[in-house]
Amino acid sequence: MNSFLTAFFAGTSQGAIYALVSLGLVLVWRGAGVVNFAQMGQAMFTTYIASQLIQNEYSYWSAFVIALISGALLGALVDLGIMRPLSSRKNSQLLNSQSMRTTVPVIASLGILGVLKALAGIFWAGEERGFPAPVPTTGLRLGNSDLAITGFDLFVIGVVFLALVLTTIFFTRTGMGLAMRASALNPEVTRLSGIRVGSVRTLSWAISGTASSLAGLLVTPKTNLSPNTLDLLLIIGFTAAVVGGLTSLAGSVLGGFILGYVIAFVNVYSAPENVFLAILIFLLLALFLRPQGILGSKEVRRV
Amino acid sequence: MLKVANLVTEFASIKALNDISFQAKPGRITTVIGANGAGKSTLLRTISGLERPTSGSIKWFDEELTDKSVEAIVRSGVAQVPEGHAVISQLSVAENIELGGLFRKRQARGDLEIATKEVYELFPILFERRREPAGSLSGGERQMLAISRALVARPKLLLLDEPSLGLAPLISAQIISIVDQLCKSTGLTVLLVEQNANTALAVADHGILLALGKVVADLPAKELIADSALRAAYLGY
Repeated sequence: MNSFLTAFFAGTSQGAIYALVSLGLVLVWRGAGVVNFAQMGQAMFTTYIASQLIQNEYSYWSAFVIALISGALLGALVDLGIMRPLSSRKNSQLLNSQSMRTTVPVIASLGILGVLKALAGIFWAGEERGFPAPVPTTGLRLGNSDLAITGFDLFVIGVVFLALVLTTIFFTRTGMGLAMRASALNPEVTRLSGIRVGSVRTLSWAISGTASSLAGLLVTPKTNLSPNTLDLLLIIGFTAAVVGGLTSLAGSVLGGFILGYVIAFVNVYSAPENVFLAILIFLLLALFLRPQGILGSKEVRRV
Repeated sequence: MLKVANLVTEFASIKALNDISFQAKPGRITTVIGANGAGKSTLLRTISGLERPTSGSIKWFDEELTDKSVEAIVRSGVAQVPEGHAVISQLSVAENIELGGLFRKRQARGDLEIATKEVYELFPILFERRREPAGSLSGGERQMLAISRALVARPKLLLLDEPSLGLAPLISAQIISIVDQLCKSTGLTVLLVEQNANTALAVADHGILLALGKVVADLPAKELIADSALRAAYLGY
């Protein structure tokens, strides 16, 4: 029973982080049609910023907020500085075909990842360092018995839950959220409704940047921080996004939690070295059984 | 007054619009007819900014539209209802309508509520089905929704691209007569593109016949209806 609870709680708190990463990927994929490989590079960079601030005796919380804001700015900057100029080059021979138009931004995102890693190496010597947690990372105790959950796990779950609630409210209750959904579904009708689709796209990069920056802040107390630590998170987050349906925000979150449980249960009941095999099997199963994803919609065509 | 002068729009050096000039009177319906591939949709898409003209000018009163973005053109009072009942199927009926007025939510919240109420009065079926996804509507209802989305922006010029496409004659006649009433009651200017010429010309003040990207006739609608030689030559009936 105790090992079950250990796996369950670890799965929930890790899954919450995967959900954020996956959400960030799906936001940019839906909003801008780009698979952003630089996403966790951006998160790594903003976590280093937070770490630097904390070293310079800023409080954890001010560093936390500044990292989130930098995440948004960095996301917007990637779109305005690189993606938008790339996609608006109408006369480029390279961008003539649809397949190149989708591939070029993806390659560009790999380039951005490389640049961010190099910059982190220059600024922070690429050393692996710890990143603090605002609450104890030791197991909680209730009376005399040890609980299978740490205070930090609870913190992670709480923060992610809050972030997801805010995201849901934003998308379903605000005009800007409606504009974002509409431009992801049908950019032409959205433009004909007078909405500046370009700005909406930049906003989805910014929100995605914030979500992944948050994921970076929440995962590094356990994994430590180095230019490469978050690469693994991108792979898991991407798997979660595909499992969830790639086009569904709710699906991406669900996919994140499911992957969290898969990994945690394999870790506890099998062995940590089997985790990647399990992820692969799970991904293949999901693709064979439900290729459109758990909550993804099938392309329906009316005739 | 909409003034189109010497408009040329090219797709990979094929002239889809080849030196088009015409005017549409304010508060009236101007109907553009022509066979498939005559350039009717391209004309509307060039006016709304979705396609960029190679040369020529499009003037809506004193404003030159050719150098403006799609969004800016909508904001200056020109709304397009694109071909094929363009609504966003995954969004609800109410959200589709909300989308149309979103850009003026800050300046004109009160008027937006009135405009929304008006389109629901115009098309009561949409009010009944407002919470359902737009994808579940029938073809006629989707067209009503597409028109409503454009109307809540309070356009001065409405560009309608084949509203009767794929609809039963009775329903398309109903939609066109509602547009006609709107025109008369609110002073809306309408540029109506149709392949199905008779209903569309019947409500129009003026008719323009396009063929292979050129204007071949620009006549009062009544004369265009009556000219059977012209119709036989260009429309085949």
